[in-house]
Order: sequence, then structure tokens, then C-alpha cells
Amino acid sequence: MKPTALSRRTTARTLLATGLLTSLALTGCTKSEDSGDDKATEQQADAGQEVASPSAGSGPGCTIAAYGGEKLDLKNATVGFSQSEKEANPFRIAETASIRAEAKKRGVKLLTANAQSQFSKQISDVQDLIAKGADVLVIAPLNSDGWEPVLKTASAKHIPIVTVDRKINATACKDYVSFIGSDFVEQGKRAADQMIEATGGKGEIAILLGAAGNNVTTERTKGFVDQIKAEAPGLKVVFQQTGEFAREKGQSVTENLIQSKPGIKGIYAENDEMGLGAVNALKGAGKKAGDVKIVTIDGTRNAVQGIVDGWISGVVESNPRFGPLAFQTLDSFTKGDEVAQDIVIKDTEYTEANAKTDIGKAY
Amino acid sequence: MTDLSLARGQVDRERLLRLLQEYGVYAGVVALLAFNFVFTSNFVSAENFRTQAVQVAPVLIVALGMALAIGTEGVDLAVGSVMALSTSLLSLYLGYGMVPAILMALVGGIAVGLANGSLVAFLGVQPIVATLALMVAARGIALVLLPQLEDVRDPGMASLGSGDVLGVPYLVLIAAALALLVAFVVRRTTFGRQLLAVGDSRPAARLAGLPVRRILIIVYAASGALAAVAGILATARLTASDPTSLGTLMELSAITAVVVGGTPLSGGRIRIGGTVAGAVLIQLLTTTLIKHDLQPSWTQMAQAVVIVAAVYAARERGKR
Repeated sequence: MKPTALSRRTTARTLLATGLLTSLALTGCTKSEDSGDDKATEQQADAGQEVASPSAGSGPGCTIAAYGGEKLDLKNATVGFSQSEKEANPFRIAETASIRAEAKKRGVKLLTANAQSQFSKQISDVQDLIAKGADVLVIAPLNSDGWEPVLKTASAKHIPIVTVDRKINATACKDYVSFIGSDFVEQGKRAADQMIEATGGKGEIAILLGAAGNNVTTERTKGFVDQIKAEAPGLKVVFQQTGEFAREKGQSVTENLIQSKPGIKGIYAENDEMGLGAVNALKGAGKKAGDVKIVTIDGTRNAVQGIVDGWISGVVESNPRFGPLAFQTLDSFTKGDEVAQDIVIKDTEYTEANAKTDIGKAY
Repeated sequence: MTDLSLARGQVDRERLLRLLQEYGVYAGVVALLAFNFVFTSNFVSAENFRTQAVQVAPVLIVALGMALAIGTEGVDLAVGSVMALSTSLLSLYLGYGMVPAILMALVGGIAVGLANGSLVAFLGVQPIVATLALMVAARGIALVLLPQLEDVRDPGMASLGSGDVLGVPYLVLIAAALALLVAFVVRRTTFGRQLLAVGDSRPAARLAGLPVRRILIIVYAASGALAAVAGILATARLTASDPTSLGTLMELSAITAVVVGGTPLSGGRIRIGGTVAGAVLIQLLTTTLIKHDLQPSWTQMAQAVVIVAAVYAARERGKR
């Protein structure tokens, strides 16, 4: 009995050790993969910066006198940037790269932090940035609420804050200076215009919704549906299902869609990934490029390539390149000029006309 | 079945209830199929059955491993993350060729399974806690290895995902073969019987001299391997590695399939046929609601109803 029990134990131990070693080895030998990509994205960050001016936004203007701070020269200032999510998707990668590139271009000292999708970390990140001597802050907020502790610290030191891509629930020109972001309703509206153009304004169309309970989903849906109703009564939205902003979900939902509604003329995907999933589904069902018109929002390189290949009709961009506009806003503001409270970043769009030439600008 | 109990001369309500619980999942599948035959346009087509079968394949494969874990009175919450880990590994090693990449993905899944099994068998950690730890860890490793979605352009992978033999997709064939294999192991092998004995009563199994630890480790390793297979197949179907979203909430779908299929959470019994039917039931439920364009929130609520019904059934069974 004894020897067998012992050997059993050893086998099991060996198994355990092998398991742990393999997992270590797996992590170890692949670590170096990401370094190559950074350069490419940095170069890309400079491409396609089309920027509105900081004063051309909406809402009453804000000056440094009204905010209660002191003028400074941005060139000699330290800028703190707090990113909300890990740079794991093209949007976040391009956003951070754009901020970095602009700081480098202007020769400004930049401190960065990444909250890795944890709000408590973002709060302490920002407090750290302030403690390390940031004179101005650019924040990509993870949440809209819960910013009071940070805003208190910042306003005690009169540190100007610009938030990008998401708004915070606080008073503009008192708690923060400006918000710079895309107009998601407008994106939906422009997607509708592209859909009308692609389908000729007639037939049944479907919507692949984003994640439920997300304001981006609600606004991109509202803009699209309202515009279709107003401009193309011949287009009927007969199907609205969530693809949760993921390619796999977009694919399986579309597979069901094209079987139950084979006559579908167009699919509006509220982000590129779901649109690419829809392309997969159409290919799998033996459809040809262009049989079903697909319009998506985001402007990632894969989706723009989809236009070049003929599978996607149009892509409305959601511009992640906040760097130039954020620094321009802070520059004007710290000089004493008036800046708008809500600044809308200019989103481009890609169609068959410009996809081939502009694909280099896609992120 | 009703006739049978009546023929015995006494309305055995208990027995009737038990039959409903045992076969309710099949009745559910039949009812949903009947509903769709009548009310869903273009439901009856080879193309549609093919789609449904392909979509259910990864869930089913994961559920097979889950059934083994639940049979030992355990659970494996790490399966969804193992899918993510396997897709990351696959994508990273695809440069060395499809076969080495698939092997690495399997090794990754088995490694997580061994870690799960070791925690359960040697440290006596509750399966729900042990596999929860690995669920978090494996997703983390997956995202370190591959932080963002990457397209898979390997033609071999693409044909694995969309190819077929005489009209039956590879994914479906693989899922069916694995279901038969697991059913055979559970029903016809010594290991299967030992596994159920461990699930029935671990102290009794130990007293009987069964290699309890080894059995537990093998079960979790098998669950990890099956989840990795599901991850590989899902990657092939999507022709992309997406460790951020692949396999999220898969553990819940798998547990639902197993429990709805009549395998008790208390261990000691595994119903592979029921598990297959359970996976098909969830797939049909989702697909029915999608095809009829019902609000997505309704889909979630319908799934909740099925889960509650299944857990209720399990509770009744547990009382006996």
C-alpha cells in the first residue's frame, strides 16, 4: 500500500509543478510581443488629426479668471493625463498615443497613469498626478460620477481640468474647465445618412445595438432611428438586437437575422467590431460583398479595410485623437483666453470614395 | 408516462414530478422546436439547423467538462477564462503552424485545470473558490499575452471554423464526438464510476481506497482541456482571437446547461444526454427571442426563468 500511495502523491505533485511551470513559461516567453506595436501607433497618432477650435464649442465660455486660477505658460507646465482603461483596444491605444504625441510635439512634460478600468484606482491616480506636480490635468474618466474628492483637491490648487471622451457630472468652469468629446447622436445620424445613401432609402434594415444601459448605445440608436424616420420613411427598422459591442455576438446575432429575415437590405452596427462580425456571418451564409449594406461607427482600420473589400458601405468615425484639441484648449485657457465648456471633436467618415486613400488615417 | 403511473393504481405524484424533472429538458426542447416550426419564418431549413448546431457547439463542449466537475460535487468557474487563454495562446503560436498553436492552447487549458484540481484535491479549497481564483487569473494571463483582438488569418483555422464533412460542420462533428466520448467515460469506464463515487461521498470513496485526489485532478484537467477546445473552435469560427470578450459568462451558460439537463449539483450523477439537451435548450431559447426580435432584456429574463425552474427541480430532487 505505502509505496503506491507515495508514488501517487509524487505523480500528482509532478503534475502540479508541471502546470505551474508551464503557465510561468507561457507568460515569460511572450512578454516581448507588444513593444513592436507602439511605434506604429505613435506614427499613426499624427495622421488624420482634424480638429475643431477650442472656442467653437457650445455652452458659455470659461476664462481662467472666472475659474479662479493663475495664468501660466503651458510650455513650462507639467500635464497629467489619466487614462481610464487599459490600452487594449484601438480606441484607447490611439487616444493615449495622441496625447503623448502632442505633448512631445509641444515639448511639454507629461505624466501619465492608467486606471485599468478600476474607478478607485483612477481617483488615486489623479491624486498622485497632482501630488507629483501636475499643473493641468487631462482626464479620460471611467465614470461620470464620484469625482468629488479629486475635484476638491484640484480646485484647492486651481488646477485646470479637461475631460476627454466622457463627461463628468460636475459644474463646468467651476469644478473643471471643458469637456471634449464626440457627439454620439450626431454619429448615429450620419450613419443613417450613409445607410440611406447605400440602400437608396428603401427596404428593411436591422440594428446591432451596443451594450445595454450604455449611453453610447442609447445615443447612437436615437440619432440613427430619428434620422431614418425623418429622411427615409421607406426604410423600416425591423430588427434591433444587442451584439454587446463584441464581434462574436455580432456574428451569431446576424446569422439568426439573415435566416429569419432573408430580405434584409442593410445592417447598422453601433460599433466596428459587431459590423465585422456581421461580415463574417454574411460570408458564412454565402452572400456576396454588397448584398447587404453594412454601416458601422468607430473608424478602426479593420472596418475601413472592409469598405475597401466591398463588404462595408460606410464607417462613421469616433475620433480618439484628443491630443491636439486638449492641448490647444489648455493652452488658450492658461493664456487667459476664453474656451467653450463643451467642445465637440470632429469625426470624419469613410465611404467607398475615400476608404482607399484614407485608410492610413484609420486607427 | 402518466398512463404508467395510473396503471399502478395509485397516482404517484412524486414519481410524476420526478419524471417531469428528468425529462423536462427534452420536453422543453421539443416545445421550443414546435413553436419555432409554426411561428418562425424560415426556421425549417438545413441552413438554419446548421447555424444553430454550430452556435451551440462551444457551449456544449464547455458544458461537458462542467458536467464532470459538477458530478464530483464541484464546479469549474474558470472555463470562460480558459477559452480566453486558449485563444490568446493560439494566436501567439500560430506563427509556428496550426498544430503547435492548437497544442499550446490545449496545454494552457490543461495547466489551468491542473491548478484548479490541485487546489481542490491537495489544499482542500472549495471548488467554487479555487476555480473563481483561476477564473480571474486565467483571464488576466490571457489579456497579458494578447491585450486586444487579433485577426486569425491562418487558412487552416478558417476551414476548421467553417468547413464541413457531407454538410455537417467540423464544429458539430467535434462536439458530437466529444459528447459521445464523455458519455462513454462516465457510463462505461471504471474511471467514470470512480468519479461518480467521489461525487456521491468523498469520505466513502476515500475509505473504499479510491484515488480521490488523482480523480479530482483529472476531472478539472479534462474540464480545462474541453474549455480550451471550445476556445479553439470559437476562435476558428470568428477567425479572430478576442480574449477580452471570448467566453465571458460562459461558465454560467455551461452550468445552466448541466443543471437544466438534470445533473444534480450535489454530485454523484451525470447526465450527458440531458446536458446536450440543456445546451440545445438555451440555444433555442436565445435564438427564438432573437428571431422574433424581442427586447434583449426579455432574453435575459427568459433565461432567468429557465434557470430558476431548473434549480427548483434540483431542489425537489435533493429532498428525496
